[in-house]
Amino acid sequence: MLRLQDIRLTLGDFRLHNISLHTKPGEYMVLLGPTGTGKTVLLETIAGMHQIENGRIFIHGKDATCLPPEKRNLGVVYQDYALFPHLTVRKNIAFGLELRGEPRPKAKEAVEKVANFLDIGQILDRRPVNLSGGERQRVALARALVLEPYVLLLDEPLSALDRSTRDRLRRELKRIHKELGVTIVHITHDLTEAFFLADHLAVMKDGNILQEGRPQDVLKRPRNRVVAELLGIENFIPLTMGTTGGLLSPVGPIEIPPAPVYSMESPKGFYLTVPGWCVEVFPQKGKNQYAWTGEMKILAVNFMDGHLELELGHSSGQRLRTSLSKREMEALSVSFEIGESLSVALLREGLHVIPRS
Amino acid sequence: MKSFKIIIGCLATILLLMVVIPLLRMILAADPGILKTTLTEPEVTQSIFLTLRCALWATLVCAFLGIPLAYILARWQFPGRSLIQGLIDLPVMIPHTAAGIALLMVYGKKFFMGKAFGSIGVSFVGTEAGISLAMAFVSLPFLVNAARDGFFSIDPRLERVARTLGASPWKAFFRVSLPLAWRPILSGGIMMWARGISEFGAVIVLAYHPMTAPVLIWERFESYGLKYARPVAVVLILLCLIIFAILRGIAGKQREV
Repeated sequence: MLRLQDIRLTLGDFRLHNISLHTKPGEYMVLLGPTGTGKTVLLETIAGMHQIENGRIFIHGKDATCLPPEKRNLGVVYQDYALFPHLTVRKNIAFGLELRGEPRPKAKEAVEKVANFLDIGQILDRRPVNLSGGERQRVALARALVLEPYVLLLDEPLSALDRSTRDRLRRELKRIHKELGVTIVHITHDLTEAFFLADHLAVMKDGNILQEGRPQDVLKRPRNRVVAELLGIENFIPLTMGTTGGLLSPVGPIEIPPAPVYSMESPKGFYLTVPGWCVEVFPQKGKNQYAWTGEMKILAVNFMDGHLELELGHSSGQRLRTSLSKREMEALSVSFEIGESLSVALLREGLHVIPRS
Repeated sequence: MKSFKIIIGCLATILLLMVVIPLLRMILAADPGILKTTLTEPEVTQSIFLTLRCALWATLVCAFLGIPLAYILARWQFPGRSLIQGLIDLPVMIPHTAAGIALLMVYGKKFFMGKAFGSIGVSFVGTEAGISLAMAFVSLPFLVNAARDGFFSIDPRLERVARTLGASPWKAFFRVSLPLAWRPILSGGIMMWARGISEFGAVIVLAYHPMTAPVLIWERFESYGLKYARPVAVVLILLCLIIFAILRGIAGKQREV
């Protein structure tokens, strides 16, 4: 449905470096990356707002590289929704239909249909200034969806909302995608949002796509430390090549999972990535499920919303972070005191080796 | 809080009085008899309407040409942008008689531009066109700067979204940018028109005749003294006050929408 081929663009000091992406029809693609990484520029480039220096953009099977934005049939929803403040909600939604020259009764019917679908039928005569954040987001979605775009481009559409509205609208986006089957490219810096919504995930930083694939695959096998960190992985155990050719870790013998990266040449060595959920305190599963077991000291305890975050330290100086849900804490029925020693294990599943660069 | 309100209220009042007292003094000191006679004098009414008309033409022509320039200054980044901005502000800074001389040198009969306009029957010396030109030259910064600020205050993403919804650059401009910048443009237009009405220095160099109200006031003051100049000034002030109150009212209603 949307294919980017070697897109290169310079905008002031900012550059997009040979971006290639492909979304299938009906796919929900999420572009994940930190703020200032070029996600919005990429989205605007897809929409035709910036002239690219190199590459091609294919939309719905056709080369749209040289088409102006109005000829691409893409819907765009910005972070602050960019609703026309001088028009009512009804006129905002009908804006594109009027430009297309749709007959008035047909346009009215289409506006009401999409408004009912998004549950904003009761606010059609209001102005954007009188709407809540959630309502604005729905209006912006309605304005884009009413034109039945080939691809819907969402620029951090949930960032400006409070937490409860964000959670509700995240589910709403999933419903819209499921019911309409529209292809969506959604950019965000929010991990939860990305994993909740994505069929296909692309991780972006400094104008580069670092890795893409199914979210669970990307999470399981991040390509490098930058991707791993962007995916929320905080634990990295350095691995060095031993004299016998095996990999040595500072925490002692550890079962390193087989990975294709072993064949890569990495003169600086490797990292073992350990997602927080792989670090188990007071391990209770069968021994064969763990790649490593040992003693660690509690260095810090942070009570977070709904869970407890533990920072653990090994005698070698290696630190690991993990968190326990309320239910896990209750099941363990122990108090966690700083300086206390704990039995800790690393679940084999979820460990991954990446080159150290 | 109370002292804050009192102090800023007093400061604002001082400034208002600086404007209001001379105007009131002039209006109240006018002889009602002479004022009445002045109102019926064809020379006075013609001169006032000529002034209003020429200022209006100057504003309309500058709106047609100045709104695109304001849009460019607000939206485009290019080398020399600051220089153009400085040039726009220049007419406010230079003495208006100097501006009049500059215009005379370009649009007079000795320079090719004056000759070119002359060949199609348009002369700027001693004509309404000349008065409008002089008014436009000295007052255009008011309109261009207000329109530029108006466009600048509009989120460019509104135009971009309009484009993705099917609007060509022209349609995005006329259906999104212009309606949103309308209020500052109107406000700038009012200011430009007002400034045009009051213009004396540049106008007198290009066109002593036909006589605009400021030139007539000057001529009567020179020939007959204050007593006969004042009623013309009072009539002009009262008329302008009424017109500006109406226009500001319209601009205010736009704000409420």
